[in-house]
Amino acid sequence: MRRRRRRGENAQAVLETALVIPILLLLVCNFIAVMVEVTVQQQLNSATALAAQSRFQAPQNAVDRPGTRCCGAHGVTLVTSGLPTGCRYAGETFYGTMTAYTGLLHWQTVTLCTSGGDSGNAGTPPSQPRAYPGSPANADVSCDMGSVKPGGLVVPGYTDRALNPPSGLDVVTCSASASLDFANTPLAWGVFWTPTLHAQAEALPPPFRQ
Amino acid sequence: MVLPLFLLCLIGALDAGLWAVQTSAEVSAVEQAARIASSAGSSPTSETAPDARAVTAVIAGQLHSALFGTTVEIWCATTAGGGCAPDATQRCPTTPAEVQAADGPRVVAVCVSEADPPACTTPPPGQTAPYPPGCDDSPMITVRVIGFVASLVPPGFGPGARGFELPTDISATTHTLRFAP
Repeated sequence: MRRRRRRGENAQAVLETALVIPILLLLVCNFIAVMVEVTVQQQLNSATALAAQSRFQAPQNAVDRPGTRCCGAHGVTLVTSGLPTGCRYAGETFYGTMTAYTGLLHWQTVTLCTSGGDSGNAGTPPSQPRAYPGSPANADVSCDMGSVKPGGLVVPGYTDRALNPPSGLDVVTCSASASLDFANTPLAWGVFWTPTLHAQAEALPPPFRQ
Repeated sequence: MVLPLFLLCLIGALDAGLWAVQTSAEVSAVEQAARIASSAGSSPTSETAPDARAVTAVIAGQLHSALFGTTVEIWCATTAGGGCAPDATQRCPTTPAEVQAADGPRVVAVCVSEADPPACTTPPPGQTAPYPPGCDDSPMITVRVIGFVASLVPPGFGPGARGFELPTDISATTHTLRFAP
């Protein structure tokens, strides 16, 4: 009778262990995945913020000459001829900063350089930015910025009407989106979700800028 | 059976949290350092980026408080005067192992390097000056935090050579702001 009871207890312990082990591993895998997601999101925020800011490192009216290329990832080169130099600076900064965790990310391709766009307010409807003519459409980051074309034609940037209301302020915005894929990592064993990360940064022109 | 496994999972989760805190601190420190290094430095007409020591001094406190059990070093080739070599000639380590070989385990190095655009030359027929394209760009500055951070990963389990460490390599690159012609 006692031996039978002990055998039953052993069987129960084995069964409990068999149930608990996968649950524990699943919890740990998902916790690690969340930590990775938080870290990659922060890296993405940092890269887009620096990209938006770097537009102001370029001369205000500079335009890339024919034959200018830049950055890109996975062997892709972006041709930036005829685009504002600040746009190329933003791309170079983004790709130069977003170097970690790239194997986990599937980027949503966007147009590198856009103009216009309005956040809108009570009196003005919001509007979407438009691509600069000739801007590469296979970039991982998109930056909306104004420029002055040869001949003096002013192309507006993104108007943020939350700043200096109601007329708004012409700012630079950069955004990037990517999905985080754990399929090629050991975490794929227990992580069955693919989060989409999005970062958007806005940079205001420095007050001393002419 | 369950208790060791539970402990293993607990330590794994703790380590993941610790790693996330450390990496987040590195990312924000590197971004801040890049903004400082890309600024005009000591003078608006300065032609070189701020010294690596100056940049590291600004973010060292931030890194020290987050990188538990990890030493933060300045990666620079010292000149005869005791300062860092100009950033244009600085070569940053390319792998965490390189930092470990130079400075030992659980050390991260902060490195600032500057990449100058190609020199402008006389354009060939049919091309306009400045040539080659991009030769009149401002230099690009890169701030890199690279090395091994302390962790709870035992020897033989992690990618670190000696155990109780994890590799890290976080960098930020941007163009410098120069008012000089």
